[in-house]
Amino acid sequence: MSTRKFLFFISFLFFSIVLKAQQNQGFLVSGQVTEKSGQTIPFATVIIDKTDLSMISDENGNFVFKNVKPGKYTLKISAIGFSGQKKQIEVLDNNVTISLQLDNELQELESVTVIGRTATDKVNKQAYSVTAIDAKKLHNTTLDLSHALDRVSGVRVREQGGVGSQSELAINGFSGNQIKVFIDGIPMDNFGSSFQLNNIPINLADRVEVYKGVVPIWLGGDALGGAVNIVTNSKPRTYFDASYSFGSFNTHKTAINAGYTAKSGFTTEINAFQNYSDNNYWVNVEAADLKTGEYFPNARVRRFHDTYHNETVIVNVGITGKKYADKLLIGFTGGQNKADIQTGARMKAVFGSRYTQGNILMPTIKYQVKDLFTKGLNVNLNANYNFGEEQTVDTVYRKYNWFGDYIQYSGAGGERSRTLMKLKDNNGIVNANATYSLGERHSFMLNNTFTTFDRKQEDELVPESIAYQQPRKTQKNILGLGYKFDYNKKWSTSVFLKNYDLFTKYSRSYNPSGNAGDIAYQIFEDKTSTLGYGAASSYYLRENLQIKASFEKSYRLPGSRELFGNPNENVAPNIDLKPETSYNYNLGASYQTSFNKVNALAFDVNFMYRDARDFIRNTLFTNQVDSYSVNLGKMTNYGVDGEIRYSYRKRFTSGINLTYQNLRNMTKYEPGENFVSWFYKDRIPNIPYMYGNVDATVFFNDVFKKGNNLSVGYNLLYVHTYYLSWPSMGSKDSKLEIPQQFNHDLNAVYTLADGKYNIAFECKNLFDNKLYDNFSLQKPSRAFYIKFRYFFSKSN
Amino acid sequence: MKKGNKLALFAAFIAFTTFSCSSDDNSGNGTGGGEDTGKTKYIITATTGAVGIADYLLTTDDVSTGTISTIGNGIEQDGTYRYYITAQNNFFSLLYGQGNPGAVTTYNLTSEGKLQKKSDFQAETVHVFAAVNKDILTVKVPRSGAASIAMMYKIDAEKSLITGEAQQDTKKLAGNGERAFFTWATQVGDKVFMPYMSIKGDGLDNFGTANPDSTWVAVYNYPELKLEKVIKDNRTSYLGAYFTNGLFQDENGDAYGFSGAIATSNATLTSTKPSAVVKIKKGTTEFDKSYFFNVQEKSGGYKISSTTYISKGKFLLLMYGNAGKNNGAVKMAIADVYNQTFTWVTNAPETLTSVTSRYNITSEDGNSAIVGINTPEGSWIYSINGTTAVATKGMKVEGGQITAIQKLKY
Repeated sequence: MSTRKFLFFISFLFFSIVLKAQQNQGFLVSGQVTEKSGQTIPFATVIIDKTDLSMISDENGNFVFKNVKPGKYTLKISAIGFSGQKKQIEVLDNNVTISLQLDNELQELESVTVIGRTATDKVNKQAYSVTAIDAKKLHNTTLDLSHALDRVSGVRVREQGGVGSQSELAINGFSGNQIKVFIDGIPMDNFGSSFQLNNIPINLADRVEVYKGVVPIWLGGDALGGAVNIVTNSKPRTYFDASYSFGSFNTHKTAINAGYTAKSGFTTEINAFQNYSDNNYWVNVEAADLKTGEYFPNARVRRFHDTYHNETVIVNVGITGKKYADKLLIGFTGGQNKADIQTGARMKAVFGSRYTQGNILMPTIKYQVKDLFTKGLNVNLNANYNFGEEQTVDTVYRKYNWFGDYIQYSGAGGERSRTLMKLKDNNGIVNANATYSLGERHSFMLNNTFTTFDRKQEDELVPESIAYQQPRKTQKNILGLGYKFDYNKKWSTSVFLKNYDLFTKYSRSYNPSGNAGDIAYQIFEDKTSTLGYGAASSYYLRENLQIKASFEKSYRLPGSRELFGNPNENVAPNIDLKPETSYNYNLGASYQTSFNKVNALAFDVNFMYRDARDFIRNTLFTNQVDSYSVNLGKMTNYGVDGEIRYSYRKRFTSGINLTYQNLRNMTKYEPGENFVSWFYKDRIPNIPYMYGNVDATVFFNDVFKKGNNLSVGYNLLYVHTYYLSWPSMGSKDSKLEIPQQFNHDLNAVYTLADGKYNIAFECKNLFDNKLYDNFSLQKPSRAFYIKFRYFFSKSN
Repeated sequence: MKKGNKLALFAAFIAFTTFSCSSDDNSGNGTGGGEDTGKTKYIITATTGAVGIADYLLTTDDVSTGTISTIGNGIEQDGTYRYYITAQNNFFSLLYGQGNPGAVTTYNLTSEGKLQKKSDFQAETVHVFAAVNKDILTVKVPRSGAASIAMMYKIDAEKSLITGEAQQDTKKLAGNGERAFFTWATQVGDKVFMPYMSIKGDGLDNFGTANPDSTWVAVYNYPELKLEKVIKDNRTSYLGAYFTNGLFQDENGDAYGFSGAIATSNATLTSTKPSAVVKIKKGTTEFDKSYFFNVQEKSGGYKISSTTYISKGKFLLLMYGNAGKNNGAVKMAIADVYNQTFTWVTNAPETLTSVTSRYNITSEDGNSAIVGINTPEGSWIYSINGTTAVATKGMKVEGGQITAIQKLKY
């Protein structure tokens, strides 16, 4: 869809809103669908019998029918996993509000469910291969989002260091840009370094959904191998959640989330958070003498130049629950961060003065309306634009060693390469989503996501550079169309199509005359378009046994960083990149059972197969420091991940998950070689392929005082050792490896007054093991934290 | 039940912690320089192109026949790129790249001829490294930014430690508004000759120049590394190339300089002078005005890419494949600088992907260059005879492209 078409679509939308306001008649019938326990049921189908009125409840189980004429009606409600229900209502001369309770179909588990499988279970019941984390259960911990994700089967987060350090998310062998991250369905890739998974506190999220391989179209984006969607609490309510933690390495974290919704519908929300850490944890290094270069092997030293801090505020103001807008919020996200750079790609390289900094200055708008110009048509519209910029500062001409000693050189230089480069990427996103349900069985969805990128770069050290003034622009548009067919409560199937468009504008330099010093630029514009598709289906074999299968031919358009490079990260441009593509297959089953009415067990297992082509791979320039991205390589990956979870009454819960994946290089011929590659079918190196978690929590109720609860929890992360390079190459005793990791965390949470006040103690890396996610980049040593939290909420 | 669970948990704790200790790798710090008992061990380095791994070090007694492979064999070398030099019968593996201080790993041979790690030390990432007396001289040269100081380090090749450093302002050295970028360093007599190119270093077109038709050699004394003079010529362009040696001393003590005449501006070739060889007579610090070997003319218009000295005035040249240009798949040729003759090498593979022209050795008899040749069909070690200009196929190298050939005695 072109920009023009898209603008037309928006104006059409607004036009219809105006129309809508004039034809108002009848009354509102609204309500909420819940379980007997009070848990809300999202995406339930609600039909007013013998009329054309039907709709799907939202993620919180809410539904609203507008313009219902007075009379007696029968409401029919159904949802996957629940028995259907009918309810008589009568509309007289007033709006009607009803609450609907459905019985869980899984009778066997009526009284015994596994702890930790409540609200998020509704998400897990989708036909997609998806795992949802109930973030609320982690609100008393000091986790950021990336550490919470690290506990999901099939997912690995690889960090380079401590608080705020660069981290990379991998799902089933795909990583980095191949995974898309969304917040409330809005792609986050333009948010800059001040608002990322490694610094967003868990308290911002209500739940976190991880889609493996197949990404539903309501997450509009070009993900090759999966997506993460952070869902914040969007219920209109009045709440206040404040927390502060401090601990080892002078680490301080604060998060405040507050919201107020007035009777009039006026809504205001504020989320503010801050992270600070010296990150001066102990590492084992070879420290060099600055003069002779001699190494002192196995020195245990503290990191000395790794301070990180970020501060971010999100404010939203608007209205909720109006006829013309179920939600209209105007907001602003502002934030900044500064990160000292302690090491290079190896810990052998140590810095003492370089740092990066960045900010986010982003106005946002969110708009939601239900029953737009026909009943059952719901529309969401989101837009934002980030005016932030990122800078690397390297202006101190010194050489450091691990003891913090340095040699100061005279003149102007840097530690690595003198720079004050600033990048301002001018990113914008417009995302629109429309759903329409027709009867009980059919629903349709249309999603369009448009992103724009227009880089401005400058370095005050090279102010006159005309190279920096060249155009670097991309525009992406991803249009998705989906259809869902619910044959009955047991069987549900979705199919979808996605169209990917990429427009780039750039220039190439040339020498017009051949004379020394002459330079000119020619502007180019390129367009590419591709079509992807997929399907997902789920079936309940028994009430407590679900199987699901999904498939997608996915595409990922090359990112602006890959097309235009990033001089601050020594990434060179490659404007000729093609989209990468993959065939992703998933097959999964989940089963729940219980015995003796007190023990509950849940099993989940997923098989997956990936077949990726034109893989965008990072390669190094010959004789250069820079790396750049190329379309190289084929890769296949088949794997399995599974989870078993047990709980005993509400007193104890424990789980184990394991992931194994077999990533193979299927590039038969390397470029410039006419013979079968030596690494053909070898395991892809430097990617973890076997890992898992074990956790256990014991709950004590009414400790010291009634209403005060204590829980003690333990989490173990295991990652099997893997090689840095091709496994078949080199002698075994010389091979460089990322050693196996055992990370033990302990925590104790004491909640007072039914959760209003909370105190948590945590010990991370209990046994002070040497932990590595990347070759030679050591992660934090043992650390202790304490967290205080106050929470108050009132439903409107 | 509750107690049972706790016990199980505790047992799990114990089980996991037992597994969780990891061993430290210790760097073998031992024996001195390898003893020379007359036997030769060849070291072949091969790269797999894997990110983060530079090369595998393979060793063999004979490179004239057979097959060697990196599969399950060879010492892994981490880093983006590595460069190699032998001095004092030690093999130095220099880490380059990532813009970081480089580590140097020194290897020597055991009495059984097995390559062993001798020591590790930290050094700068450098662009020039050459054996001078019993040292290795390394130079880090800035190519852009406000910094214009080239750092020179002296490394004791026996102790594997930095013993001194010196600095040279490259803008001052160039004296033409641009900056000097050393292409290499060569010991000539008791001095160090360092040819350089003049580059803009403006952050835009770093290696471009407005001075494409001049030759410069900076002369330093040793071990003080004090600049004595800069000798110049205008008959061809700069000697050597980025990371490429272009000045060699023969058995008579004369020095011969090789220029590709490939200076550029904005990636366009702007040299108007021919690719040629120039000479500096023994004991002088001037170009010999009576000597000029116009290689470009003798070769039919081709330019030199890189050079290897064989012996007795015979050089192996790698020539750019496109006449008059600095591109095209390279071709090999033999140049005799005494008789000013140029002969294309015969019996070589049709297409050369790359040749280890910068890191190779001469045969035991001194008559041939032993080089690694990578082709679309595979990689082999070839011996190129300096007299006949005939290439002879030797050992096949599997599982990677050959990046260097060196040898040590034991």
